[in-house]
Amino acid sequence: MGSMVRTVVVLTVLCSFSGFVLSYLKNVTAPTIEEQLLINVQGPAIASVFNKAENNPVADRHVFTRENGEKVVVFPCLVGNRLTGVAMENFGKGYGGAVGVIIGFNVSNDSLAGVGMTTLKETPGLGMRVREPAFSEQFRDAAPPVALSSRGGKIDAVSGATISSDGVIEAVNKANSVYKELKPQIVKQWNQ
Amino acid sequence: MAVIKEFTKGLWQEMPPFRLLLGLCPTLAVTTSAENGLGMGAAVIFVLTLSNMLVSALRKYIPKTVRIACFIVIAASLVVALELLMQAYVYSLYEQLGIFVPLIVVNCIILGRAEAFAAKHNVPDSIADALGIGLGYTIALTFLGSLREILGNGTWFGMQLFGDSFEPFKIMVQAPGAFICLGLILGGMNWLARWQNRRKGSEFVSIGCQVCGGACAACAAARKNDKES
Repeated sequence: MGSMVRTVVVLTVLCSFSGFVLSYLKNVTAPTIEEQLLINVQGPAIASVFNKAENNPVADRHVFTRENGEKVVVFPCLVGNRLTGVAMENFGKGYGGAVGVIIGFNVSNDSLAGVGMTTLKETPGLGMRVREPAFSEQFRDAAPPVALSSRGGKIDAVSGATISSDGVIEAVNKANSVYKELKPQIVKQWNQ
Repeated sequence: MAVIKEFTKGLWQEMPPFRLLLGLCPTLAVTTSAENGLGMGAAVIFVLTLSNMLVSALRKYIPKTVRIACFIVIAASLVVALELLMQAYVYSLYEQLGIFVPLIVVNCIILGRAEAFAAKHNVPDSIADALGIGLGYTIALTFLGSLREILGNGTWFGMQLFGDSFEPFKIMVQAPGAFICLGLILGGMNWLARWQNRRKGSEFVSIGCQVCGGACAACAAARKNDKES
């Protein structure tokens, strides 16, 4: 009996101590990790969307709140101190999990400025090919909402990877509705 | 002196992947370049040293019946801590090593050293053992990684080694290359050990057979070979 109590006590103390230490460490590192993710995961995608930006879109990001309370991070692209475009991340359902896409919009005519992939876990050689310019460049200057050519739209899917291509389309269209809702706030934020 | 002996045994005599054949899964998977091997080795040194230290310090309080569970809790906490720190400060390495960082928890070296060594020895000896084994692991991984990177990519730590005329063996940086390389290294080390033992006149013990006492099929075959040649 005594040894059983000891077993329970030792394990409980050990586990709770480890939980305490880890939650503390998690809190301490959270801001740095977020920064690293922005630089390493979203940064390159944003750079590929806005090749003309004169500011640093990651450093100038701003968090907006939607009507339903959802928080959205928006990255602005400024040329000569004027807002020319904004980018935001959204997700669609892919073959191997969520497909993360950075979607850029031209503020002047609400068309797409381009897309860049962030998190992709698709099949190498098939779904992963949505990264390639042959697919992603089709979005440049397209008018949202977009659809695959097999469904009457203008975007050609990567052959053999309809699900992954659809994931990107879904993310773009979701971002488009967010953009429409937030546009008045966005313009107010950066164009005084 | 005991501390030094515990430290140096990990560097050759009990080098984990090449002599004890422990921790082979990450050894094969991450050694596509010298840098990855070094990074993985450093991560293992960090976890192994702290886990050996904690296990050794707590060995009198941990009840025998739940020792494995306690060792796993200690190793898992350390690995999560390491994962958070890597994500925050060396993100590119974290991305390269990917799934193999969380898998350090079940790396048999960590549990093996905790159970076989730290649970029975004092703290300084356990730390020396962890540093030795960890360093041996790092050296082995860096060596294997260098070999594969040089042959498969023509670079070493990212530096270009050959001119444009060099056609890299792409297979060496892919999965089969890992098996081929490791197999040849193990064969070479067995040959070396056998040659050394024959000179000294002692019995040959095959790699990974330090515990079998020469009773397994591989050792019997090696003895038979020895007599014939």
